[in-house]
Amino acid sequence: MGERLELLQGTLDVLILRALSEGSRHGYAVSRWVRERTDGALQIEDAPLYKALRRLELAGAVEAEWGASENNRRARYYRLTASGRRQLKADASTWERYAAAVADVLRP
Amino acid sequence: MADHRALRQGRSAAEIGTDVDAEVRFHLDRRAEELGASGFSSAEAHAQALREFGDVDDTRRYVVRLELASDATRRRSRYMTEFLDDAAYALRRLRAAPSYAATAILTLALGIGANAAIFSLVYGVVLQPLPFPEPDRLYAAYSANRGAGQLQSPVSPVDLDDWRASRRSIEEIGGYWYAEGSSGVALVGRGSPQRLSAVFVEPGFFPVFGVPPAHGRWPREDEMVRGGPDRVLVLAHGFWMREFGGDPAIVGSSVTLADGPYAVVGIMPPAFRFPADGTDVYVPYSTIPDTSIPRQRFVRVLEVVARARPGVGEDGVRAELAAITARLAQEHSGNRPWDSATVVRLAEVISGPVRRGLFVLFGGVGLVLLMACVNIAGLQLARALGRGREMAVRLALGARRGRLLRQLLTESLVLSVIGGLAGIALAKVLVSGLLALSAGQLPRAAEVSLDAAVVAFTFGLSLVAGLLFGLAPAWRTSTEDAQAALREGGRSVAGTGHRRLRVAFVVAEIAVAMVLVVGAGLMGRSFLALTDVDLGFRPEGLVAVQFTIDSDRHAATPAGAAAAAEGARPYVGYYQQVIEAVRRLPGVVSAAAVKDPPFRGNGERINVRRPERVIAAGESTPVATAIHVSDGYFSTIGARVDGREFTARDRAGAPFVLVVNEALAREHFPGERAVGRSLVLGGGPIEIVGVVNDIRQVAVAEPARPTLYIHNLQNTRVKTTIVARTTGDPARLVGPIREAIWAIDPLQPITDVFTFDQSVGRALARPRLLVVLLGAFGLVGLALGAVGVYGIVSAIVGERRREIGVRLALGARPSDVLLMMVRRGVALAAAGVLIGLAGAAGLSRFLASVLYGVEPLDAATFAGMAAVLLAVAVAASSIPARRAARLDPVETLRE
Repeated sequence: MGERLELLQGTLDVLILRALSEGSRHGYAVSRWVRERTDGALQIEDAPLYKALRRLELAGAVEAEWGASENNRRARYYRLTASGRRQLKADASTWERYAAAVADVLRP
Repeated sequence: MADHRALRQGRSAAEIGTDVDAEVRFHLDRRAEELGASGFSSAEAHAQALREFGDVDDTRRYVVRLELASDATRRRSRYMTEFLDDAAYALRRLRAAPSYAATAILTLALGIGANAAIFSLVYGVVLQPLPFPEPDRLYAAYSANRGAGQLQSPVSPVDLDDWRASRRSIEEIGGYWYAEGSSGVALVGRGSPQRLSAVFVEPGFFPVFGVPPAHGRWPREDEMVRGGPDRVLVLAHGFWMREFGGDPAIVGSSVTLADGPYAVVGIMPPAFRFPADGTDVYVPYSTIPDTSIPRQRFVRVLEVVARARPGVGEDGVRAELAAITARLAQEHSGNRPWDSATVVRLAEVISGPVRRGLFVLFGGVGLVLLMACVNIAGLQLARALGRGREMAVRLALGARRGRLLRQLLTESLVLSVIGGLAGIALAKVLVSGLLALSAGQLPRAAEVSLDAAVVAFTFGLSLVAGLLFGLAPAWRTSTEDAQAALREGGRSVAGTGHRRLRVAFVVAEIAVAMVLVVGAGLMGRSFLALTDVDLGFRPEGLVAVQFTIDSDRHAATPAGAAAAAEGARPYVGYYQQVIEAVRRLPGVVSAAAVKDPPFRGNGERINVRRPERVIAAGESTPVATAIHVSDGYFSTIGARVDGREFTARDRAGAPFVLVVNEALAREHFPGERAVGRSLVLGGGPIEIVGVVNDIRQVAVAEPARPTLYIHNLQNTRVKTTIVARTTGDPARLVGPIREAIWAIDPLQPITDVFTFDQSVGRALARPRLLVVLLGAFGLVGLALGAVGVYGIVSAIVGERRREIGVRLALGARPSDVLLMMVRRGVALAAAGVLIGLAGAAGLSRFLASVLYGVEPLDAATFAGMAAVLLAVAVAASSIPARRAARLDPVETLRE
């Protein structure tokens, strides 16, 4: 594990949407996906993650359903909606342009 | 997914919390399992998982709050969507039934439009505060002679000075002299001489109202006293705009009136229209010379306005003025009978004369709206019957009862909003029509407009109406037994309950209509009585030209000086010359002059007694009205004289003679012939040479007061009205008469020109306005009542088709069927008429104050109107009844 980065404001939503873009997952899986994909570089507390999931759900970006998990326990599964998919696309491209612009500015 | 969300809707906080907890527990368990696999003990693993998660309680609280809030917004938006759906649905349904929609909207528009229009008048004229600062503190004050029953007399300028000097709880008090048509000044030096409507004001007049001028200033107090620099004037806004194009530079310049230049010191703002809309200028009262109106205690000419100090009420003002006046009566012998003062709220004085009439109209128009609502409720109920099956099906399919109720109410609201909008448009038209119809009859007419308050009132009205007429049918429909409705196939859902309600509506409608037509009938009879009044003269063919002679100017002429040397007034020659000139005009049958023509002046008050009668101390001398006339006046206006009327020989120097009217003769010489007897007016006995029939002077509705006529050559007055009887159209002679006067004196301003038909018309205008409007309300009431009766009988015929068919098949004659159906309609109407008669009897006393010559409980009117209403009911029910009589029994039985 390298140096841990604080999560930038607004980043969490796009990460969650990205995590769900590969199929429906429960909250725990989303949390693991983020940790594995960033190799622990991003530090995400679980509480904000769940708050964000619920917020996205009410906003209509994701929808949730109780279902059976791998080990046959009841888990709450989240799935991207069409509007969530659109949001992911828009957010991701914003992020990329932003990152590129910042990198440009910081380049020596 | 919408369904999924819908299922979760409206969860309680506890349910949401449990949901969150379950999700979090799953997460913590999984994380602990994972940590356990990498060597943590079970307890350590759980502690670690919890640490990584963060604040569980906070998460739960957050989610609960979030979901509840979002639920609320969703509920609101769903309600809105449903309302819009309902409204769109209602519109669709109304479009599908255009005749129903048109009837309902038209009825409502009429009811609401008429209401808004009348309310505009009531609001503008009566309810709206006067356009002065703190108008509640403003009062009108009068001198009172309780012995003679004269409680509201104008005030002497000398008395007013004392009132003003001794005031304590009155902040400011001021007087003015204004008489429509006679208190004028001549504006010269700006084209042809112009007569301006002037208000002559005393110090205190402007401060009482406290309305600052738009430009310039009020006259100072030292500019309003006799002998001071009082040649100043203030312009009314309308005149300033008209004559000077609104140029503020006019302040400080001067204008020339007949008696010289006046400095314009100020211009009042547009809202200041006191005492009348037509006011042009405000001139200090001090500029009126003693030769016109002597400034003495017995000359009571001023109207007085006062502003109470804050916290002082009507009683306080009255007590103060009464005390001062009582003291003056002690100190000055001439004032002895004038020992009190009357105080009335200014708002009441201004709108008082029309207040009752307006409230009567408002009541009438309210009844019209009530009928409109009942009518629409009936219409809606009839429609609801047809929708019984639809409602039943929807209930059976699980529609919420509340939702159905709301849908029906929405339809009512949509109707009433459309009706309200149409009503406002109608009201706009009606208000301008009413103002035109009541031109000159309505104080504060300029303040009447369809303003925000009125529009708000109308909309409120239409919404209340919508709820009112939507509620009963909606409630009936939604409590309908769905199963029964389905079973009956929606054909005859018209259960007895429904019918009873419709019958109640119709009876109520007829009752209200009854009240309306009785009101209209009483007003109509009163109006007929008014037009039937014996005026005591023949107004047709008479024309009048009014002017005021400038005594000072004529005194300066050689003829005037000669007359004055003989002891006559200097303008007597001029006066006679003018009458003679008019008499010579072609088309003039006869001409004469009078100071106060009928309906244009009340004459002067004068003490009168028989020579032998001794007035005891403390007893007041009888008072009569004195009117100054020329020779030939009575024959010109077409009055009958017993004895003789004045002739040119009754001049100054000849013995003073009088003509009296029958009322005076009755009072002073009961049972005797008055001709040849004498009266004392103050000096020696004066012979009565003629008795003229009673001539209505003050108003058409007011019987003649005891009046004596004085020959103008023996006791002259400057205010003159030339009256001419003409052949053909009297208005044609106005021009020639004016020219004849100007041929003698080109500087003579003409105050007013009118025909007596106009004059009588004006006196009848206010009652006519009332009778026209109440009559219109009555007709609308009759029409709505007829529609109601027609509707209910039609419905009954529709329901009983089979039964009627059976009857006809069994040999009943069509006329029997006709009679049976008409009887139903008339029975309903009769019930309504009875209730309405009782209501009308209770309400008609409110009309008493506007009625003339007819009792509020006039039996003939009540009976006649009941008969009219029943006849309308017969006519209305005979249409569907005839349809029933013509039914083909075979066809009805096959249905």
